[in-house]
Amino acid sequence: MDKKFNEISKRRKRWEETTVKDAVSRFSYMQESPAQFYAPDSLQNFDFLNKVGFPGEYPYTAGPYPFYPNAALREYTGQSETNRFKRGSSGQTRAAEYSGYGAPESTRDYYKSMIAIGSIGGPNLASDLPTQLGYDSDNPAISGEVGKVGVSIDTLRDFEVIYEPFQGKLNLDKIATAWTINAPANVFIAMYIALAKKRGISLDKLRFTPQNDILKEYVARGTYIFPPEKALRLFRDSLVFLARNIPRANIVSGGGYHMREAGASREQDLAYSMVNIATYCQIGIDAGLSIDEFAPQFTINAFGGDMEFLKEIAFHRASRRMYATLMKERFGAKKSKSMIIRQQRGAHMGRCNTTVQRPLNNLSRSIIGGIASGLSGGSPSAFPPYDEPLGLGWSLEARQLAEDAQRILTVEARILEVTDPFAGSYYMESLTNEIEDNAWKEFDKVMSMGGVAAAIESGYIKREIGKSAYQRQKMIEEGEQYVVGVNCFTGEHELDVRIKSLVQNPYDPSEREKAEELQKKNLAEVKKRRHGKGVKKSLEELRKTAKDVGANTIPSLVACAEEYVTLQEMCGVFRDVFGEYEDRASL
Amino acid sequence: MKSQKKVRVLIAKPGLDGHERGARVLSYGLRDEGFEVIYAGLRQTPEQIAAAAIQEDVDVVGLSILSGAHLAMTSRVIENLTGLGGKDILLLVGGVIPEEDMPTLKKMGVAGVFTSGATIKEISEFIRSRLS
Repeated sequence: MDKKFNEISKRRKRWEETTVKDAVSRFSYMQESPAQFYAPDSLQNFDFLNKVGFPGEYPYTAGPYPFYPNAALREYTGQSETNRFKRGSSGQTRAAEYSGYGAPESTRDYYKSMIAIGSIGGPNLASDLPTQLGYDSDNPAISGEVGKVGVSIDTLRDFEVIYEPFQGKLNLDKIATAWTINAPANVFIAMYIALAKKRGISLDKLRFTPQNDILKEYVARGTYIFPPEKALRLFRDSLVFLARNIPRANIVSGGGYHMREAGASREQDLAYSMVNIATYCQIGIDAGLSIDEFAPQFTINAFGGDMEFLKEIAFHRASRRMYATLMKERFGAKKSKSMIIRQQRGAHMGRCNTTVQRPLNNLSRSIIGGIASGLSGGSPSAFPPYDEPLGLGWSLEARQLAEDAQRILTVEARILEVTDPFAGSYYMESLTNEIEDNAWKEFDKVMSMGGVAAAIESGYIKREIGKSAYQRQKMIEEGEQYVVGVNCFTGEHELDVRIKSLVQNPYDPSEREKAEELQKKNLAEVKKRRHGKGVKKSLEELRKTAKDVGANTIPSLVACAEEYVTLQEMCGVFRDVFGEYEDRASL
Repeated sequence: MKSQKKVRVLIAKPGLDGHERGARVLSYGLRDEGFEVIYAGLRQTPEQIAAAAIQEDVDVVGLSILSGAHLAMTSRVIENLTGLGGKDILLLVGGVIPEEDMPTLKKMGVAGVFTSGATIKEISEFIRSRLS
């Protein structure tokens, strides 16, 4: 074996000294050779079955499934299924697009209009910031933010309104729904359970995904409320409750997407998301469950994305192997579903790489991300729509272009035909190994600091991510990294191509300005009508369970939700009992 | 001589928005450009930001807002700064700011608005030119 590599290494040396050198000498500006070429000598001792294996088998490097479900290409037209496909039709992406507008009424009307044009997905809810931080719409301290980045949720009444269009064939036992909610995730779970109970639907039929990935909130995204250890106790409650009672619900939708957007490098993204997932697993184990009793209910929303096409493909291969190794080797998983990454989004360009300058170029960028995704086991979605950085919400035109790009990649370019076409590539396998190795090193480093809570509280993770973000910015400013239309190709003869938006968005932005007043009125109405005694009693019960570390808070939260106790009242009990986290991560 | 005293900058994130990348990168960057940077961290109320600006005797306040609440937040910061006698402090706003809101911010008294793609150099030169 060594002899074979010796021969190739010798040839490589000769290549560098003759062919490459000759070529370099023809370019007067060239100081050193830019030639990079991977051959068998770059990947010695490569064990294909151990490192890659077959798609759908451990260690899942080549893919979580033997083929990609979208390859079956289905399209839903009304209730009939044809042999074409539609966004959201694959087994993994049953919920509709991330959405949530103003007051619950506006969001309900949006879903009504979507259902009218054939949407079959359950709501994928975006909540406003007060909701994500456990504040009610009538709290004067958060005035001006109600209904801004998503819908406002105060009480069960708001869930009743939002889910009103989901009846009959779209009832709660037929749809899958998702909520981008972290610190108050258990409150959302409780409200949904209360809603299902009112509709007479048994818990084992429910399918929902709370984001519930609180650990990344402390280092990116920022919607934490309680200290990490206390938040993890709440996480334990949802893990145990969902594993035991609602097997079709996901417990967590984790990942490194938000951290990469905050500036994390590829390796940091992978390392920290795996640290977080390992922490969640340990909590389940410590609660007395076996890994296979809950890990199949773990899901990933996304890892971060980037424009470096080949590296992102390697990254996704590495992420699958690392996850499978973690689950099997560290936690003793036996079920395949515990070991695979089930994720909504594969490789992508990364929203942080969209540019305000010449924004249509973002379409080209997103398609590159879509190809990377398709070639690394994901759906070839051209994400995000090109007008992402303009701050106006996605126009329907931009969505149409993104949707069509995905269709073109699938049915015309046929990039999903072969699973993991890079398997065995000397370069791709080397890079996959390198990314995984570096991620494990950073993983071990955080664990040696006393685990993730310690690394959060000391500010380590946030500072590391911030430093990476600054490093990248410096490279762009110093011309070591180029962004077209931003720091290069910006001359006066370049055109800024724009398209005029002609189709109106289903949500009128002027409604957003009225959302706060409307929602405050809604809440006042609920407070007037509910029973003070029931509210008081259920809150007292909640306080008791919160104080009792051995108790599970979910049933008490359901009782609160049923009494129309508000989100802020429930979170207020936790704020009292657990305290609030104060971020001390200096620069 | 003015060059003896470092220009003091307060970078703050008003409201509930937790997107910190721009604020942190700019803080590091301005510090390397020779400014004295105070980073106030997440979830500051306009009242807290104005009080910190006065207490720290800063020359510049930079607000980073990506939540769409920029008009309400900025106007409350200005109101509070004015109330505390900090009307002359140079006020910058950054984040996700739709183009159509920029004139409104400038009318309120914001000196400069910097969105995605703005460079640290551009911002530091802007500050220097306005303070010289």
